[in-house]
Amino acid sequence: MNVEEALREAMAAQVAGVHAPPSLGQAVRRRNRRHVVRFRTAGAAVLTAAVAVGVPVALTARPDTVPAVGSLAGTGATGSGAPAASASAPGSGDTVAVPGGVVPDVVGKSAAEVNALLKEAGYTVRVTKVVTDEAPAGTVFAQMPQPGTAAPAGAAVTITIATTAAPAPTTSAGPEDPRMPQDLGDLGDGRTLGGVHVGYLPEGLEWGKWSGKDGFGKRSYTTSWVEPGLEPGMYSVQMIVYRKDAASVLAKRMQGYAGQGAKPIEAGGRKAYLVSLSEGGDQINDGGTRTIVWTLAPGVGVEVMISPDYAAKLGEAATDKELEKIAAGVALNK
Amino acid sequence: MTEEDEAAFDEFLAARSTALLRTAILVCGASASDAEDMVQNALEKVYRHWPRIRHDNPEAYARRVVVNGAISKARRRKVLQEITFAQPPETPVESPDLGLRDVLVTELRKLPARMRAVLVLRYWEDLSEAETAALLGCSVGTVKSQAARGLARVRARMENLEGASA
Repeated sequence: MNVEEALREAMAAQVAGVHAPPSLGQAVRRRNRRHVVRFRTAGAAVLTAAVAVGVPVALTARPDTVPAVGSLAGTGATGSGAPAASASAPGSGDTVAVPGGVVPDVVGKSAAEVNALLKEAGYTVRVTKVVTDEAPAGTVFAQMPQPGTAAPAGAAVTITIATTAAPAPTTSAGPEDPRMPQDLGDLGDGRTLGGVHVGYLPEGLEWGKWSGKDGFGKRSYTTSWVEPGLEPGMYSVQMIVYRKDAASVLAKRMQGYAGQGAKPIEAGGRKAYLVSLSEGGDQINDGGTRTIVWTLAPGVGVEVMISPDYAAKLGEAATDKELEKIAAGVALNK
Repeated sequence: MTEEDEAAFDEFLAARSTALLRTAILVCGASASDAEDMVQNALEKVYRHWPRIRHDNPEAYARRVVVNGAISKARRRKVLQEITFAQPPETPVESPDLGLRDVLVTELRKLPARMRAVLVLRYWEDLSEAETAALLGCSVGTVKSQAARGLARVRARMENLEGASA
């Protein structure tokens, strides 16, 4: 089996049991109302501005400029109103104007039959697969657009074909059981690893009872501290100690942050970068994970991050303050 | 929004929201609740512009919002066990009872968000390289290189596993 196929199957199996909840429509409309309220407030501000600017103009303008202001108010009050539905909207004009065919109902038919049928009708056929027991394998399980929808020739019709799962591996370990590594064994309070000691941690955290070695380069060490009761695999504060080879990789990353415009701060008398990082850890990214990185001693680098969940609980300012305090409290373990 | 628009939106949800949620879960690599939040957010945008976009492939629009949202929000919610660009470990497999699929899905989750999105769009959504590039707002070359690197990563893991069971 080639890797593309294997990946495709693994992905299908991974989400086969997932179904959108029936309450989704309600939830979406509820969100929309929240949006409309904000929009209305913003609309009022725009209207005020328009009136303020418009008054001197309106004194001399032709009467037909007045309804223009009126329609702005209308848009503000209705949120997504009738104006958007008109054919003047960019992008939608063509589809509306071209009299197309009507998409046939193909659900339940065999995939090969449907493919021919749709192509004959002039549609581009796009196929996705889903592992399901709800339809016989090889038949069309769902289609998009829906049968009866008008669609011009050449439009793409996506059919979802039911497939059966290959014999499932009988592992019960779900993705929620991350099997945390114990590379460094029992660390007691977890505050000493990789030759450094953590003198300060935010109140209420306990050791996450796991440790990793060499995951971030040769001679790197990591562990985390959690709020009691946090599910396994999650963290509140995580630290990575980089030594030797790993430390030089970290040093390069720090140069990268400087290159992206980050300004160093001072933590415990050392130059540190306090930045929000993307998942990969090499990009500064708004809304990323709050992280402090510094060189503790020649050949020893340290990275400490606060999880987005814990950061939300602490608040932005407190998160940064805690990171600085943790950094200031980290020392070489003599 | 007319009543007919509302009804059409409900139909759209019934037909497509599950597929959207599945894509979101794969792209996020995060928990199902994060993915659902992202889908709700995308669908709210679709709903807001529904009368304008309902005949213009609203699913593609929703998918774009979901995927790009997932990438920009990519955060390390979970403990990071190894750097995401690192080579796969040379030890064959830690737990031989993990099935191939679990290994592949775990590997997929470890990839950086954009690389993961490329693999999901190419091999789950079956989008072409050009379509994937358009959706992500990057060049076809980027899609190619990201897909190649991602696949290489997954392949290495797969061979490890096969080597161990042979």
